[in-house]
This record gives sequence, structure tokens and C-alpha cells, in this order.
Amino acid sequence: MNIRRFGGLVIVALAMAGATLSAHHSFAAFDMTKEQTITGVVSRFDWTNPHTFIWVDVTNEKGMTESWAIEGMSPNYLGRRGWSKNSVKPGDKITISIRPLKEGKTGGMFIRAQVGDRVLMPTGTPTDER
Amino acid sequence: MPSWRTIGSTALVVVLATTAAGIAEGQTPARSAPTAADWAALAKLPDFTGVWEVGFGAPGGRGAGGGRGNRVGGPPAGTQLTPAYAEKRRARLANAPEDSQAANCLPPGMPGIMGQPYPMEFLLTPGLVTIVIEAYTQVRHIYTDGRPLPDDPDPKFHGTSIGHWEGDTLVVDTVGFSPQTDIAANTPHSEKMKIVERFRLADPDTMTIETTVTDPEALTAPWVSNRTLRRHRAWTIAEYICEENNRNSVDANGKAGINIKK
Repeated sequence: MNIRRFGGLVIVALAMAGATLSAHHSFAAFDMTKEQTITGVVSRFDWTNPHTFIWVDVTNEKGMTESWAIEGMSPNYLGRRGWSKNSVKPGDKITISIRPLKEGKTGGMFIRAQVGDRVLMPTGTPTDER
Repeated sequence: MPSWRTIGSTALVVVLATTAAGIAEGQTPARSAPTAADWAALAKLPDFTGVWEVGFGAPGGRGAGGGRGNRVGGPPAGTQLTPAYAEKRRARLANAPEDSQAANCLPPGMPGIMGQPYPMEFLLTPGLVTIVIEAYTQVRHIYTDGRPLPDDPDPKFHGTSIGHWEGDTLVVDTVGFSPQTDIAANTPHSEKMKIVERFRLADPDTMTIETTVTDPEALTAPWVSNRTLRRHRAWTIAEYICEENNRNSVDANGKAGINIKK
């Protein structure tokens, strides 16, 4: 597979990610023109329908801890693409790229994350082992 | 003057008699017990069993076939609306709704439920094709026992469906849709909407569905769309309880919301 073709697949994958989230609700709450990266410690992982939520304690510039809520795709969708309820655990140090919520709220929509040396993506080729 | 007890018994008898009459008139035909031959006949049909997922990215994949969706922007591709329904659509869009009721966990109904990014399982039993739809935990019953469509169907999210086989193709006719369902996002239908779906296997693990929506009040021409589904033999349908942890919402004015209270 050459690089060009791979690039095309990534674009298709990202388009799929958008299509999937839009099945249950629109993007209206999120600023889709912005990408923001937050780093913190996971306090909770909701492996629930219709969306997963990663709750992250982030220390802001004033030294205060803020709780961020990061919405991801459903356990049904992610579970068929390599994720599990143990993909993210309380206490994990995590860096997440998000589409931030509008109105400056401490939350956003999941784009990708890094936990240690693991990269978590919302997409992938469905596995047949489930 | 009859006692309340007598009235109660009389009412019960009337209810039972009405129910029996309904069956006798063929409104809800009783299915006879399936025979061994009925079960054996299923083996001669194309194998639709198992779990299927609508394809992504390919022409005719997800997105075709409409539904409430949430694409509040442009008109749904392929629909040609009558002036009256173009006006209804404009009125819906006038206050720029940010989301559909799906954000509140209301299932989309037909035809949108057939285009969700979650798998469906097909079950064939004598006289019946059942589609178990993971999204919103929905189910469609398609009666293939020869019963007619109802003349005056109750409005339902999935309508009332009957099916028959034309060679290797399952042809499904559906009528009687709830006014809470849409042809496509922000595109309402009339009581006269009909949907014909043609299901067939393009290859052993690929199913195609051609969906034709007609509505003499809403559409000036039939709206035909196509979907391709892939079979995943090892998959099972997962639980999907939308109310489990739904933090999204849309209010009566179409304003979308999200609850991030931990």
C-alpha cells in the first residue's frame, strides 16, 4: 500500500467517524472548526450507550483542577474496532485531541488520544472476532 | 339495574367477542402452526441469516435512504418535493433546528432506521422475516405468510410490512407511518407514503437493498436509493439502550444541548 492510498483511507476513516457520531446527534454543541489538546488524569471512563465519556482531571493555568468530559463513540462501535471497557482506566495519564464544546465549557468530542505508548483512534477496520 | 359485577362480565364478553370477530374477518390472520415442510422450505431461500452492517464510504452506503438524520443543511439528495411539502420543509428549517429528536433517544423510524451505523440481524422463520436492529434496540416484522396490507393501518414508526419472494429477491411493501418519522431529515411525509424495499444477495456476504419511497402528496417522483451491507458471521447484536447515559438533548425550539455534569 503506498502512502497516497493510505492517505485516502485515512480521509475515508475520518469521514466515517463523523458520520457515526451524527447518527445519534448533530455536531451543534461542538466547535468543529477547532482542535484542542488537553492533558490530565482519567477520573472515570463511561463505557456506555449512546456514547462513551472519558472524564479527565486537568490542571488549568491557575493551578486549579477542572473536570473535562470527552464524548466518544458508542461501546458497540468501538468494541468492534479494538476498544474495550479497559482501554482507558482511572489514574491513566492521557492526552486527548478534541473538538471543544462551544461556550467555553470543559468538554469536547473525541478525536484521538495517547495513553502511555498507546494511541487510541475512534475508527479502524471492524474485527470479525466479536 | 345491573350490578357492577354484571356490567364487568358483560364488558369482558363484548371485548372477547370483538377480538374473535376481528380474527374471523381476517384483520389479524392467525398463523397456522408451522410444519416440518415449512421449516424445510426456508432452506431453499437465499441465506439472509446473520449480522449485517451498512457499508461506509462506498456509493450507496450509509447516507442513502434518508431518515431523520441530523444533516440540517441541504435538501436530502434525490428527493423531489411537491410545492406543499417543500413549504413544510422550509417551515421546519425556518428556526434552524440544531438537531433531531434522535438526540433525545427517539428512534428515527422508517426509512432512517435502515441506515444507521450499527448492524442488523436477519431472522427467517415460516411466514416471517424479522430484522433486529441494534441502533435504539429496534425490530421490524415483515410478514411473508400471504396476508394483505391493512386498508387503514395504524401509524407506526416502522409502518406495517408484508413481503414476498421474487426469485432470489425479498420484496417488502410497507405502509402506515407515524407522523413523527420523516422521509429524510426535516422532510415530512403524508399518510400516503409507501416504501418498497428489494433485498438480495450480490455475493455470499454482500446484501443490497434498493429502497423506493413514493408519496403522492409529498414527492413528485419516486425516490430510489441503494445501500450495500456486509455480513459479519462472527458478530452478535449488542445491547443499545439509548437512555443508559444519554447526555445529549434537543429542546422544543431545536436547540441542542449536552450535559457534562459528572
